[in-house]
Amino acid sequence: MSSRSQSPRPGGWSSPGLNTPYDSGGRSSPFTNGGPQNVTWASAQARSAEVKGYTAFAPRNQGFFGKHFRRISTSLPFSYAEKEKLGRGRYPNNKFMQMLNRIGWNLWRMRRSVGVILLIVLSYILFYVTPLHRAYRRSSWFGGGSKYVIILAANQGGGVMEWKGPREWAIERDSVKNKKKYTQKWGYDLEIVDMSTKKRYAHEWRESWEKVDTIRNAMRKYPHAEWFWWLDTNTFIMEPTYSLQNHLFKQLGAITYRDINVYNPLNITHPLTDEYLDPETRSPVGDGKVDSINMLVPQDCGGFNLGSFFVRRSVWTDRLLDIWWDPVGYEQKHMEWEHKEQDALEYMYRNQPWIRPHLAFIHQRKINSFPPGACGDKGDDPHIHYQEKDRDFLVNMAGCEWGRDCWAEMYSYRQLSNRLNRNPWEKFKDWISDSIKARKQSKKQSQKKG
Amino acid sequence: MFWLVGRIGRVETGAAIPKLPKVEIGSGPPVVIVTVIDPKADAVWVKRIKQNRDEYAKRHGYLTFFPGHGDYPLGTSPVTWSKVPALRHAMTVYPGSTFFWYLDSTALIMNPSIELQSHLLTPSRLEKLMIVNEPVVPPDSVIKTFGNLKGDRIDFVVTQDKEGLTPASIVVRNGEWAKYFLDAWFDPIYRSYNFQKAESHALEHIVQWHGTILAKLALVPQNMLNAYASGPANPKDGKYKEDDLVANFPGCAKDHTCPTEQKPFFDILDGQRKGDD
Repeated sequence: MSSRSQSPRPGGWSSPGLNTPYDSGGRSSPFTNGGPQNVTWASAQARSAEVKGYTAFAPRNQGFFGKHFRRISTSLPFSYAEKEKLGRGRYPNNKFMQMLNRIGWNLWRMRRSVGVILLIVLSYILFYVTPLHRAYRRSSWFGGGSKYVIILAANQGGGVMEWKGPREWAIERDSVKNKKKYTQKWGYDLEIVDMSTKKRYAHEWRESWEKVDTIRNAMRKYPHAEWFWWLDTNTFIMEPTYSLQNHLFKQLGAITYRDINVYNPLNITHPLTDEYLDPETRSPVGDGKVDSINMLVPQDCGGFNLGSFFVRRSVWTDRLLDIWWDPVGYEQKHMEWEHKEQDALEYMYRNQPWIRPHLAFIHQRKINSFPPGACGDKGDDPHIHYQEKDRDFLVNMAGCEWGRDCWAEMYSYRQLSNRLNRNPWEKFKDWISDSIKARKQSKKQSQKKG
Repeated sequence: MFWLVGRIGRVETGAAIPKLPKVEIGSGPPVVIVTVIDPKADAVWVKRIKQNRDEYAKRHGYLTFFPGHGDYPLGTSPVTWSKVPALRHAMTVYPGSTFFWYLDSTALIMNPSIELQSHLLTPSRLEKLMIVNEPVVPPDSVIKTFGNLKGDRIDFVVTQDKEGLTPASIVVRNGEWAKYFLDAWFDPIYRSYNFQKAESHALEHIVQWHGTILAKLALVPQNMLNAYASGPANPKDGKYKEDDLVANFPGCAKDHTCPTEQKPFFDILDGQRKGDD
């Protein structure tokens, strides 16, 4: 090949010869030959390389234009014979056409690989633009998203007795939207439970102990789901890009503790030592295996926190949900158990040994970070409070209805989450607008000073 | 981030999988007979009671287990509660056994030739004997025993005397459900609640309020497991007659009359033994 003399390329003779991109003599006209003073070894080599880049022996008129222009032009009733001889069927000076032709030709030559790449890109786009990726993430074979259900309690403490203002509506709307987006993204199910409707039975003695019933109903409604995640209204998923599988369930052993002595704000005696109990029940960590965990509960500074917790479908869970509410316990303790199910669970954990081997505690900030104001005003407890730099998963504005501003907290965390999860283009835009703003301000300031 | 690493490291060191003895349920003797003994009771009588169970167990390859009242953290609750942790204790001591038969010290095994499993505990036998749709508390409580339960799903066999469920003679199948059931039954709330009949009323309570317990329960005719030689027997089938497995004298422990009340029955047993020899 290299020994071949320069032959006409498909594009004809219009090539401006020495005026190559490698040899920019700064000439404006493409027709002027580069002066001999510009011909260096490098430029000559580059030029010949450029020529070699096209198959020298290719039959003429291979490209689309080559094939058809000729035919079109010869079929016209005018004679272009002379011109054609000169221009060999080309518009000799149309560089744009040549380029197109070249690109087309190259693409055609590489049609296999280009086709494959195109197909990949197209299917990638189709996968993410259409709901296909959701179906994938949802399916039990691939993503496994249908194994997870989020139960969101809406209207907590609301309803007939309490007046619900625009702020409460806004909080609920934001909270619901946040979970909807999250569950859609990962193919989970979302069950929004209106806790106020149950208030119709406000005269009933088991008033507002509906967590148990609600979880049971959800288990019935989603018979193929495995894990059920209870969330209070005043929660916000800060990092929607975390999937539950990756964030929690693939590393369950590492992020949970079975032995409550790791963090024991209630000072519960553990493990149990009564000799009549079997070794597994007396073991501080149950059987220590991840698959014996049927419930995940975070602890805050005051003990168990049921604002955000998980239960797994299992016979153990059926039993727990069944025994959780009991009329004798309720009658004896309902005045004392201010936090209802939460206190009852703490009580059962203390007094019914069968619960311990299957309940694991999860580090609070994995699923239930607190804002400042809950468990200490400073918000600086590294086990409890939200840390922006660690990109905590969820914020639970626990207790914000007691003297704090729920809506302000929800709003600021929503904004923060949006800011933290901008895509690169948004970051770029924000960077520009920010820098413009900054410049304007500095100008103003300097003017003021001036 | 460092915080997380630190915490994870801390937990992983603590979360080493403990070495727990792994004993397959069913690998040991099929039945363990559990009787709680009052340490203050007449020693001769206690010996005879133990002998009564030991002989029966030996004949069929079962085991016996005789803890005392004081072995368990009952606090101020009535001592009759001790049967609940005693069953759990027996399961801890003999984890390979399948059925745990709690029999009050007031009862005597009168027909040692009856093999408990084939007599009562095989799935087909249970399905045949189970009393379904029966009010848990006679005569007319709203909660009735479940119909269409499968015999192999039954974990708890109990009888009913004239007044209600009686835990004087019960069979519990070893397993996770048993732990749940016994621990829930033994909850301090029930023990301190002042149920009129202590653990029997607590049992009636949890059976009626918790479906996961009722669904494992088989109510069988009283004379299959707990025939009364004296006391408020179930009018249908509670009265002791010859060849019944058990003769129970429910009030005798409280009245300290067991040795005298049971004397004629011990005599019969002695006669049987002679006949066998």
